[in-house]
Amino acid sequence: MDAFYAAVEQRDFPELRGKPVVVGGAPNSRGVVATCSYEARVFGIRSAMPAAKAYRLCPEAVFIRPRFDVYRAVSAEIRAIFLDFTDLVEAVSLDEAYLDVTASPILQGSATRIAEEIKRRIREATQLTASAGVSYNKFLAKIASDRHKPDGLCLIPPEQGRAVIAELPIGAFHGIGKATEAKMLALGIRCGRDLERLALATLTRQFGKAGEHYYRIARGIDERPVVPNRPRKSWGAETTFPADLSDRAEMCQHLAKLAEGVLKKLARHGLQARGLTVKVKYDDFELVTRARTLDRPFRDIRDVRPHLAELLNRTEAGRRKVRLLGVSFSVLENAQRPVTLDLFAPD
Amino acid sequence: MKFTISRENLLTPLQQVVGVIERRQTLPILSNVLLKLSDEALELTGTDLEVQLVTKAVVEGSDSGSVTVPARKFLDICRLLPEKSVVNIDCRQEKFVIQCGSSRFNLSTLPAENYPEFDAGTPEIEVSIPRNCLRRALEKTLFAMAQQDVRYYLNGLLLDLGGQVLRAVSSDGHRLAFFEQSLESGPEEGRQIIVPRKGVLELNRLLGEGEEPVTVQIAPNNLRVDLGTVSFAAKLIEGRFPDYQRVMPRELTRVILVDKAAFKGALTRVSVLSNEKYRGVSMEVSEDGNMCLKAQNPEHEEAEERFAVELEGKDISVGFNASYLLDAINNVDSDNVKLSFTESANSCLIEDCEDTQFKFIVMPMRL
Repeated sequence: MDAFYAAVEQRDFPELRGKPVVVGGAPNSRGVVATCSYEARVFGIRSAMPAAKAYRLCPEAVFIRPRFDVYRAVSAEIRAIFLDFTDLVEAVSLDEAYLDVTASPILQGSATRIAEEIKRRIREATQLTASAGVSYNKFLAKIASDRHKPDGLCLIPPEQGRAVIAELPIGAFHGIGKATEAKMLALGIRCGRDLERLALATLTRQFGKAGEHYYRIARGIDERPVVPNRPRKSWGAETTFPADLSDRAEMCQHLAKLAEGVLKKLARHGLQARGLTVKVKYDDFELVTRARTLDRPFRDIRDVRPHLAELLNRTEAGRRKVRLLGVSFSVLENAQRPVTLDLFAPD
Repeated sequence: MKFTISRENLLTPLQQVVGVIERRQTLPILSNVLLKLSDEALELTGTDLEVQLVTKAVVEGSDSGSVTVPARKFLDICRLLPEKSVVNIDCRQEKFVIQCGSSRFNLSTLPAENYPEFDAGTPEIEVSIPRNCLRRALEKTLFAMAQQDVRYYLNGLLLDLGGQVLRAVSSDGHRLAFFEQSLESGPEEGRQIIVPRKGVLELNRLLGEGEEPVTVQIAPNNLRVDLGTVSFAAKLIEGRFPDYQRVMPRELTRVILVDKAAFKGALTRVSVLSNEKYRGVSMEVSEDGNMCLKAQNPEHEEAEERFAVELEGKDISVGFNASYLLDAINNVDSDNVKLSFTESANSCLIEDCEDTQFKFIVMPMRL
């Protein structure tokens, strides 16, 4: 979906149309930009940028708090459309999904015509525009989808795949973030062509396991399947504070509050967790995580609290100031299973 | 520090101390053993900060001093030296030299001042318990301790002293083991302590046979047991153990008497086809005294076994984790096992037919 959250806001509030709209944190907070309208992008505003910076770039922009329930509803609508074409739908986020239409008989099995039809139906159902990328693997489909935004449709046929990758700047590779980009540039790798020249051994030496993936995608090889309804491996929540924290007791309270919310979500999905991770971002943006796995699931927040404190104690939080705290639960199990009754359960 | 000792006199205390020293350490000094020499006696100390062991060995040499050396290496060297050989130790500056026959070893050391010895604390209660009584209390109950439960107070064993009775209780929330024996003497005021899991296992290992009493000292945060040659100490788990008296099943309306060997055999066989993770086995007893054990796994394979039992009361249908039942039965010494249920069959009491000192509770499983 193009500028998804912002587009939904402009759809629902006509007075926002044609204006720079920023969905995310308030400009005087330490929140970040979730999405911004194309009018806002002209000013250089981007996703994940601090809202305060966005405000400096464009003080007249309209800053809006996200309405996730609305976005989720729209997301469900478009998902239903995808499922009319194939069962192989892998949602990456609320507004982005991979579809494997290799075996689809619809529209004579033409992926490009299916993409056109999906775009048409999304516009009809939601009055929103989407961009589609069509290619022979996930990596190239993702690149294609970014090429003709907004309201774009781009096809990268097999014979052009390698040429497209050769020209692609290294920072535009999906899966290569800022840190890897910097490392690649330092090694003189500026685009796909440079990457393709490197031997597999060199890449694995420099980048470990990921090196193998880079070696393959540089050659247009990406065999990752489209995995429908990928079950989530973990559930978490995090928050950036209006002012850095230095009191551990206060941090524990925030962590417990986050954990409580996540536990509720888990319970709604009939899940229990045995793994717990605490995430701490210090005031210099250094990020650390501390985790542990128990042999029995957490039942409620009372079970979690002492572990939050212990995990936090294993960080330098307190001695160093903290700007962000997060909690996530992993090693998920279905809550419905044979249960031995609890001796000490209250009557 | 300089002394001479026979290999055998050194080996036993060293082996005991190494037992509590964890293989993987956060603090390097914790993988060392603390050696203190004075008056021809060598004191060896090992700890993991939760449990501490101090043992003694008689040596030749009037020197005194203290040092710490890598425990496992020291033990390995002693173990591998020829039997009955004489070991000469000479520690000067930072070198710890072991000389024995034509062998010579040079171990690294860390200063004794840095060794984290336990804070003794003032004992509030001192009680003398026959060795075999304490051993039996631990032996019969330690299997039911929780391992890494979020309810940290379950990751240990409750020792409940009061009214000249020793009670030991452990539970992981799904089953409970209970032992009680009266003592000739005991503290006037009752006292409950929770000994951490590792401490219980270690103490059980050290107790050995014999009737001579051991001295148990309880300080606010720790427990000390004087075993003669070995002195054991453990930090206690703070917190309250759940009220075990409250969960003891009462008004038992159905009682089954079953041959232990037959029951155990059937349970073990049937559980082969239970869900590997949850080990669920269903138990049905009809009023005419037929017990039927059944199990089914996710692959829909099934096992079933029937045999005669004695039943007093109405018929029963209930599910269990087979491992919990087996753990309890394995601790019953009599030929028959007594299983008792309340009217709602929401817990099962397992007892020895002769010995009333111990009993177990196993909670049923909703299959």
